Amino acid sequence: MSKAIRVEGLVKRYGDFAAVDNVSFDVSEGEVFGILGPNGAGKTTTLEIIEGLQPPTSGQVTVLGKDIRKQARHIKARIGVQLQSSAYFSFLTLREILNLLGSFYPKRLPPDELLGLVGLADRANSRVNQLSIGQSQRFTVAASLINDPELVILDEPTTGLDPQARHNLWDLISEMHARKVTVVLTTHYMEEAELLCQRLAIMDHGKVVAIDSPSDLISRIETTYTVKLQTDRPLSDGQSHALNEGGSLQQMDVDPQSQPAAGNSYVLRLDRNPESLNRALDGIVRSGISLKHLEIQPATLEDVFLELTGNELRD
Amino acid sequence: MLALTIANLKMMVRNRQTTFWALFFPLIMVAVFGLFDSNTFASSSVAALDLADNAASRQLVDSLDEAELVQLADPPASLEEGRRAVEKGDLDFLVAIPAGFGAGTVEGDGPSPAAELAAEVSMAPVTLVTGEEREERSQLIANVLRRSIDTITNGQPPEEGPDQVITERLEARSAPYFDVVLLGLVGMGIMSHAIISIAVHISNYRNLSILKRMLVTPLAIWKFFAAEVVAQLVLAVIQAAVILGVGVFVFRAELVGSVIHMLPIIILGSLVFLNIGFIISAWANTPAAASGMGNVVSLPMMFFAGTFFSTSALPWLLPYVADALPLAPMITALRDIGLRGASIWEVWQQLAWLGGWLVATSLIAVRVFRFS
Repeated sequence: MSKAIRVEGLVKRYGDFAAVDNVSFDVSEGEVFGILGPNGAGKTTTLEIIEGLQPPTSGQVTVLGKDIRKQARHIKARIGVQLQSSAYFSFLTLREILNLLGSFYPKRLPPDELLGLVGLADRANSRVNQLSIGQSQRFTVAASLINDPELVILDEPTTGLDPQARHNLWDLISEMHARKVTVVLTTHYMEEAELLCQRLAIMDHGKVVAIDSPSDLISRIETTYTVKLQTDRPLSDGQSHALNEGGSLQQMDVDPQSQPAAGNSYVLRLDRNPESLNRALDGIVRSGISLKHLEIQPATLEDVFLELTGNELRD
Repeated sequence: MLALTIANLKMMVRNRQTTFWALFFPLIMVAVFGLFDSNTFASSSVAALDLADNAASRQLVDSLDEAELVQLADPPASLEEGRRAVEKGDLDFLVAIPAGFGAGTVEGDGPSPAAELAAEVSMAPVTLVTGEEREERSQLIANVLRRSIDTITNGQPPEEGPDQVITERLEARSAPYFDVVLLGLVGMGIMSHAIISIAVHISNYRNLSILKRMLVTPLAIWKFFAAEVVAQLVLAVIQAAVILGVGVFVFRAELVGSVIHMLPIIILGSLVFLNIGFIISAWANTPAAASGMGNVVSLPMMFFAGTFFSTSALPWLLPYVADALPLAPMITALRDIGLRGASIWEVWQQLAWLGGWLVATSLIAVRVFRFS
């Protein structure tokens, strides 16, 4: 399959600081490719270089077979871009904005068709400031499709949306995928990346730390299960020790999401060993911990991320 | 680009607040100056041409200068030139002291029973050249002049004999103060709206990432700015038309010059002010800051560039600074064309100044401009 994007040895420096530090990856035609990473990992900078908004310091970027340094205008005509937090003219209607944007491209889709696609057909004569956050986010995605692009780049398309609006956008992205449009997106949400993307790149400190399909990324890591438990009083040293019998406890934290009033919550991450879950449960029983709540989850991308970057993904 | 220009004009029409103020603020000023008898604010310009150049004539010039109502301007080089200045309206009154003035007075003489002397002085009467149409005003100046002459002739008011002041009336194109201010307001309105609206507009676009959004399309970005500028120019022309229209049809201003010749001045001036707006938008981080900075630039310029009063009365180097501001040549050129019927070719100096400003501000704007 030919490549929609090819990035090789990409570096972007601001003075001494390398925002993007020797990044390489490919995106195949027709795939949904996700870039995950904490804030400041270099995701947006990487995208802006691909979009032609910033020149790279060094490295090679090819989009739809063309060199971004030499044929930026040609590339821009064939891709659709949704910027992080970009708004539109306040005094034009949605239809007028789409007509205006369309006038910049050789090829364009009818505004009403696009508005219908994102469920805004009845708002064609509204202005952007009359839309809800979810609606305006969907509108920016519609606007990125105005030129019937072969490649769409979405920078955090679902950040700040309520679950309902997020699901609407997921449907829209699936719809694009069905139309054989290549989609590159960045996100903070693991379930989103797991659900939508065929392949993922995880970025941290300007570097790509892993690229693979979500399931392969998950099977690659050390953690197999996450056990969350809530007790009625703090664990004693002996109890903690009992939980770690057999060395299967990889990490134990006070659950960062717990309320202080909710009691004592712990998160155990268990390593890749068929016995580790049994041993942990055994430890709980033997040490006489009185449980208020117990939750056992198989590893998710969240764990992958934590293991690779040492950071929680959400900010 | 046509689509962009049309979209910009649409936005302007819909953004009623800004557009309304662009027209309304200068119109309020037009109404203020039109409804009051604004001519009472105006002071007359008087120059004395001393052809006698003797003790008596010098004394006359000095006493005129000291008179309360009169502030003497620089004298013209010759009587002919003075007459032309009066005809053009550059000068309201020219006091011509003839060569024979004071011939009968003896230099250094003390107080004398001066009845004869006074008669002799009056042999060579002083001519007051004026284009002033209002009788009371020229009477006023003539009386000041008579009193000054009396002082020289030892304070003896000549009760008999011929008048020592001859009034020579010329057909002058001197414009009423309202007309002068009206053209100043055209310049001011265009200046303040162009600077502030483009500065606010562009910094707002930058804050909303609209500039970035344009950059990811294949649109050549100069077209985006060109469309913005074209729309602003259309608004500037409409502004000028409305302000002049209200001035002429409601408040009876008289324009002798061609509006067509004003057009290049309006466009050239607008371009300079739009550039200043672009520069401000590069420095301001928020639209509110841009608006404030725009006011800081445009308010002093409005007063210093001679919208309401002549800047020659300013102290020290300030008159030169005032004349160098871009609004000054714009207003001067508009007045020369509108009030004196000059053609666009006759105001080439002002055009050159504006052209210089255009080049300078363009270079700075291109250097400092930023997209995000």
